[in-house]
Amino acid sequence: MKEVPPQLPLRFFRWFCHPKLRDSIEGDLMELYEERKVRIGKLKADARFIIDVLLLLRQNIIKPTEGYQTLNTYGMFKNYFKISLRHLIKNKTFAFINVFSLAVGLAACVVIYLFVSDERSFDTFHSKNKNIYRLDEVQKFTGTNEQKVALSMPGMAPAMKRDFPEVQSYTRFWLRGKQLITKEDTKQLIENVMVVDSTFFDVFDFPLVQGDINTCLDRPLTILLTETTALKFFKTTNEALNNTIFWDGRDYQITGILKDVPENSHIQFDALLSMVTYTSGENNVNDSWGGNWMTTYLLLEPTVNIKSMEEKFPAFLSRYMDDPEITTTYKLFLQPLNEVHLASTDIEHDYINYRKFNGSYLTIFYVIAGFILLIAAVNFMNLTTARASHRWKEIGVRKTIGAKKVQLFGQFIFESVILAGIALVVALLIDALFVPMINDLIGRKLSLFHLFQNGWQLAAVLVGTLSLGILTGIYPSFYMTSFNLSRVLKGGNKGEGKSVLRNTLVVVQFGLAIAMMVSTLIVVQQLSFMKESDIGFDKDQMLLVNMNFEANEKFETIKKELQQQSAIRGVTASGQRLGNNFHQGGFKVKADTGVLSITPSNINVDYDYLTVYGIEMKEGRGFSKDNPTKNGSAFIINESLAKELRLKETIGTKAGHDWYHNDSLGSIIGVVKDFNFNSLHYKVNTLALSLHPEWGYSELSVKIEKGRTEEGIAAVKKVWDELVPSYPFDYTFLDAHFEEVYRSDNQMSSVVTIMAGLSILISCIGLFGLAAITIEKKTKEIGVRKALGATESQITVLLSRKFAMLIIIAFVIVSPITYYALHRWLESFAYRININLLLFVSGGILALVIGLLTISYHTITSARANPVKALRYE
Amino acid sequence: MKKYQLGEFEEVVMLTVGVLYGEAYGVSIKKEIESRLKRGVSVGALQTALRRLEDKGYLKSHEGEATEERAGRPKKYFTITAYGKKAMEYTRSTREELWNAIPKVALKVVTGFRLPVADNLQLETGNNE
Repeated sequence: MKEVPPQLPLRFFRWFCHPKLRDSIEGDLMELYEERKVRIGKLKADARFIIDVLLLLRQNIIKPTEGYQTLNTYGMFKNYFKISLRHLIKNKTFAFINVFSLAVGLAACVVIYLFVSDERSFDTFHSKNKNIYRLDEVQKFTGTNEQKVALSMPGMAPAMKRDFPEVQSYTRFWLRGKQLITKEDTKQLIENVMVVDSTFFDVFDFPLVQGDINTCLDRPLTILLTETTALKFFKTTNEALNNTIFWDGRDYQITGILKDVPENSHIQFDALLSMVTYTSGENNVNDSWGGNWMTTYLLLEPTVNIKSMEEKFPAFLSRYMDDPEITTTYKLFLQPLNEVHLASTDIEHDYINYRKFNGSYLTIFYVIAGFILLIAAVNFMNLTTARASHRWKEIGVRKTIGAKKVQLFGQFIFESVILAGIALVVALLIDALFVPMINDLIGRKLSLFHLFQNGWQLAAVLVGTLSLGILTGIYPSFYMTSFNLSRVLKGGNKGEGKSVLRNTLVVVQFGLAIAMMVSTLIVVQQLSFMKESDIGFDKDQMLLVNMNFEANEKFETIKKELQQQSAIRGVTASGQRLGNNFHQGGFKVKADTGVLSITPSNINVDYDYLTVYGIEMKEGRGFSKDNPTKNGSAFIINESLAKELRLKETIGTKAGHDWYHNDSLGSIIGVVKDFNFNSLHYKVNTLALSLHPEWGYSELSVKIEKGRTEEGIAAVKKVWDELVPSYPFDYTFLDAHFEEVYRSDNQMSSVVTIMAGLSILISCIGLFGLAAITIEKKTKEIGVRKALGATESQITVLLSRKFAMLIIIAFVIVSPITYYALHRWLESFAYRININLLLFVSGGILALVIGLLTISYHTITSARANPVKALRYE
Repeated sequence: MKKYQLGEFEEVVMLTVGVLYGEAYGVSIKKEIESRLKRGVSVGALQTALRRLEDKGYLKSHEGEATEERAGRPKKYFTITAYGKKAMEYTRSTREELWNAIPKVALKVVTGFRLPVADNLQLETGNNE
């Protein structure tokens, strides 16, 4: 039997070797093998054979990856690639317009995606986030607007845990706000102090770095600090652990150190106190019903049916609260954790909701992103089809050589995909440049790297770009391959054919641009309306200073000292800050028909609150020291409350807080004009103002003279530091607070403005390109007209007319739709502007002017051109 | 300078193909080189060189008969092209020119004694290659 060399290396050789060389080299190998086998034996010959094969692994012996014969179409793709790049380089203007508009479109989409995914990422880091619900209430008190609130009664959660098997666990937050915490000589104002249940970590996954996660909140007088907070008092977190700090007259043991709360958590805190501190003593808050001052989160069974659970709530309330009307005044409902951040705009008293955002704006953002991309895609489609005639020869030659329609189609699709790919690269560069600027503008920490963090997002971007390329490529490819071969080759009949679709696309493009422009105008108008409209009080130059017990004790002295400063126009104090709803409380009025009980908003103010804030009286008088009454026996109500009460004679009517005895009521001394103490999204609620210096005020309001802000702040600080050594001077401005109140709206306005600008920009560069092509085709016509005596202006008008028509049509179509959409948006504001139709028209005219200016470069140059030149062409 | 590029091994292969006139194919070239120059030649190295020379146009090939010991595979015979001949002549003449340019005294190497001129010369030849 003939002995053969080892088969595996041989097969390997046959596989990798260039087919043209395979036979002769294999022959050599065989010959050598046969000879060696005789000379040195089979074993050694085998070994040498293997070595020879391995040494043949050389560049010009291995077969090329592309294949040595064209059995596939790599070569053709190479050609497509080359041709499309050549076209791009040849027509720089159009390449620029195409790539730039697609790139801007993609860049805008990426930014919007980053923004939206940042908003959507809120609270997702809790592993049980799908089963956590916030317990909210709908309150319907007599004499006050119905409202949804994020508060609940302390007794509710423990009772629910007992009564509902669905409730696995709960944790409550008792917001204590800004607190002064001390450790020996270190005094620090800690921004966000909360009291939480020991089950805190059963519900939420805030990472605990040090301490025992199971027991750290189990004992009274224990506190958890975030790392940053701990380092304010101690050198290291190790030193902090198990040490004590002093707050509110007592020492608290630090039983744990938390990681700083991530940015995308709606719950933000710096220190957590154990709830047991308040449930172990005499006044067990767990038995507290009636007042709503905690925020409750429930961890429910995954299988729970929320609807049917909510249906059991009225019976639950009746069980615990001895009030026949309890089920009409309170309706409990469960809000999923993942809706708290984005779907709470209609919820009031929502104090634990960091960076609350109106989630419905996110949909608007997506729509806008889609629009921009569409406008950019239209540019591409229009320019490519309009320039089709430049490529007829190429198409004709390809067809003659035997290209099928499908292949030509593929070529053009391939070209548009390449273009989209280039645009994506440019888009990412644009974003890398602009994302930091946008962050400054809207106060975010967006990062482009977020896109590259997980594979599927990157894949989505790539797939998105690919499909954008394919989708925008379909129509031009179809258009370009549909020509008759003989006609194409003759080069004749450059007859434009119908450009109905192209015109339609321009209409769509400008329609969208006009819609966005008009919307921007309206949105900006509404927001400035909110900023500048008369809200019934003076919020400018109002310095707010946090007050503690000592500041309250010395309030009169502080006030006197401050009033002597020239930069200070007024000093007053209040229990709550303007800009959100005030707490509601029971209020009784003794009318002719009997004692009325209603629940308006309440605020405790200082004597000259109304004067300092410039709130106008409608009837009666304000609080006054010259006309002293017993604390809490004089009330001022607002117009809305007066209307609600429908009293014959409001002034002098007996009234009081609901815990006052019917025989010892105070009286209403005045009625103020309605002022918008809440955001302008809401109607003015009924309000009662009272004077209770003995309750203590939470904030000092100092009105500083315009232009002397620095001086004013310094003066207040000096007085404060002298008189209130126990509490640091901590201030903010009321208008800054209002900025915060309207932040969601302002951010939407910024985004819409940027996007409207971009859409106009992209539309115009598209129009610029289109005008160039159209006019180029009319060169001959223009020449003839001029030769026959047409004036420059006649020709300019002639050329502009078509585009003007398109823009006007766009305006007509898009106006009603935009009007409707804006109307809907404005409905979310209780106080809103009327849509001025003139604004619509001016938006349309603006678009027209911008459009005509854009094409004027082409129209005017061609109108001015010497007709001889035009006629010589061809 | 780059007109006729011929590496050392390539030159050896070219010369051997010449020597074997008409009988030059893979195995015969390999054996010829091995026996004449006493150096091992791998099939891979040889084939690469042949391929390169063919690409440069110095060699051309045609397929020959298939024998039994080659398992029915044809031999690929190589012959030198006119262009290849020029390249060989060019290489040879440049070598000779260089040889001729060496002063006689430079090659008279005396043990333990070096002329400073020799260093310069070496530098020069280095540059020329």
